[in-house]
Amino acid sequence: MTSSTEAAGRPAPSRADLLPRADLAATLVARDQLSPDAQLLRFESEAPLRVLPGQFAMVRVGGGGLLRRPYSYCDLLDDGAFTLLVKEVGVGTRAIMSLPVGAEVSSLGPLGTTFELPPPDRTPVIVAGGVGIAPFVLFCRRLAETGRRGIVLLGGRRRPDLYLRDAFERFGMDVRVATEDGSAGHHGFVTALLDAALADAGQPALYSCGPTGMLLKVAELATAAGVPHQVSIERRMGCGMGCCLGCVVWARPPSGGPEEYLRSCTEGPVFEAETIAWDRDPHPL
Amino acid sequence: MSEPGAATVDMGVEVAGLRLPTPLIAASGTFGYGDEYREVADYDCIGAISVKGLYLEPREGCPPPRIWETPSGMLNAIGLQEVGIRRFLADKLPAVRALGKIVIANICGSSLEEYGELSRILDQAEGVSAIEVNISCPNVAEGGIEFGCDPDMAARATEVVRRGTRLPVIPKLSPSASDMAAVARRVAEAGADAVSLINTIPAMAVDVETRRPRLANVVGGLSGPAVRPIAVRMVWEVARGGRLPVIGMGGIANAGDALEFLLVGAAAVQIGTMNFVDPGVWRRTYDGLAAYCRRHEVAALRDLTGAMRPGTAG
Repeated sequence: MTSSTEAAGRPAPSRADLLPRADLAATLVARDQLSPDAQLLRFESEAPLRVLPGQFAMVRVGGGGLLRRPYSYCDLLDDGAFTLLVKEVGVGTRAIMSLPVGAEVSSLGPLGTTFELPPPDRTPVIVAGGVGIAPFVLFCRRLAETGRRGIVLLGGRRRPDLYLRDAFERFGMDVRVATEDGSAGHHGFVTALLDAALADAGQPALYSCGPTGMLLKVAELATAAGVPHQVSIERRMGCGMGCCLGCVVWARPPSGGPEEYLRSCTEGPVFEAETIAWDRDPHPL
Repeated sequence: MSEPGAATVDMGVEVAGLRLPTPLIAASGTFGYGDEYREVADYDCIGAISVKGLYLEPREGCPPPRIWETPSGMLNAIGLQEVGIRRFLADKLPAVRALGKIVIANICGSSLEEYGELSRILDQAEGVSAIEVNISCPNVAEGGIEFGCDPDMAARATEVVRRGTRLPVIPKLSPSASDMAAVARRVAEAGADAVSLINTIPAMAVDVETRRPRLANVVGGLSGPAVRPIAVRMVWEVARGGRLPVIGMGGIANAGDALEFLLVGAAAVQIGTMNFVDPGVWRRTYDGLAAYCRRHEVAALRDLTGAMRPGTAG
């Protein structure tokens, strides 16, 4: 940990083992087609769930390939239902996106480390690209429950890729958007909005999730500005339970010691950004 | 076991001098150091756990991407990222011992000396019941050829482990060997107590859009249901040689899959890749085996080993 994190008084992301994990049946109860290639899926779990922001589930869908697929819990609703934000990228996402309402999946979770809410003297600034926005809905729900606000920077290639903007506005967040084609908000990358957001936040704490290039840019700016920064890393996963070692990231362990391959399912997906050796990790998903 | 009627079927097996309460063993490299699945897998159904492969020193493993899904299978090139034997004994073994399971240590070596040293260390360790020898490792001193590809080298690796320990020694055979039955005969002569097979099958996949390999290591090991018929054939070939008890594995997902291996001659089976897919595989497979035994009026599951009948299913 560098001094910037210690100054923020923020602990390392907490361990997954805090909450009991279970493989539960979940029934698809609603589908919201957010864009031509993205959906918000609402499931009802066979048993109540306890989930912290940033955690994920390994979901098994019939016809969706052999392995489960990891999805961040997007939101957790009062009745125990949860939502997943899914964008079509391959056989696994196609299968879950074409499930009929009423169909059942197996959902193994909650897994992984969590985004920690910042201390009261810090304003959260969230930077997300595309479906990287998913874990921040629950995060902002928890923030709003304590009467706090934050700044959400939302980026996408085109206007339809700016998912769930209204959800963040309902939680009272200051939402600012950017699109690469200029069809909504700032014309360009979302990271161009960062300097102004950090200045407006005063004492900011950064949170990011999205494409590797975006995460790297946010990490550089955070380091230069001495701002604490938690990042959710998405990697191809085999098991989600820490056993296949397929999803590794070259990083410094939370307990200290030299850099090694850490499992993004177990030591992550949320890492302190400064512990990640970005230059040794040239393989985005 | 709470499974109704299970008491009427004896599910225990004996292999390599180990008395296992069930014939189902967790395969090395798919079950971590043994306790990772404690919340979601039914450990009552697990007869033994073969832990992640161990070298003398920690290894960082291959760069990512390390895995790729294939039709009914997966490729992996993890590169045996592991914590080293000392940290395993100090930090990992106590947790899995606390679960009350039989622990099989899986060892890897870059040289004969390393296999020997590992076996001597494990011989002195408390709580390890057997040594599974991964002979699909490159022999650095002899140009990086896998020990397991060559019957002589496989025998020498087995012999050096045998000399270092009183524990049961179980070489894990490589499907890359051109004649696995010959490898099995040689490791039997070298003092093995059983063999396990198959390790993953060398394989690769290419992203045609970028024209790049899917794995950073280019070549990986194929596992999962895709390899099962190959594995069943290999177990049959080795088992009918009759020299050693066989532990069979390769894409087992349910009782029917496990039974194929038992019927062609396996005394026990390992479950690997399907742990990733479904931690419920243990309970389902166990219950399915017990139900099969009741349906076929088999009093002891071990009687099914090698019980394939002549002729065809028709």
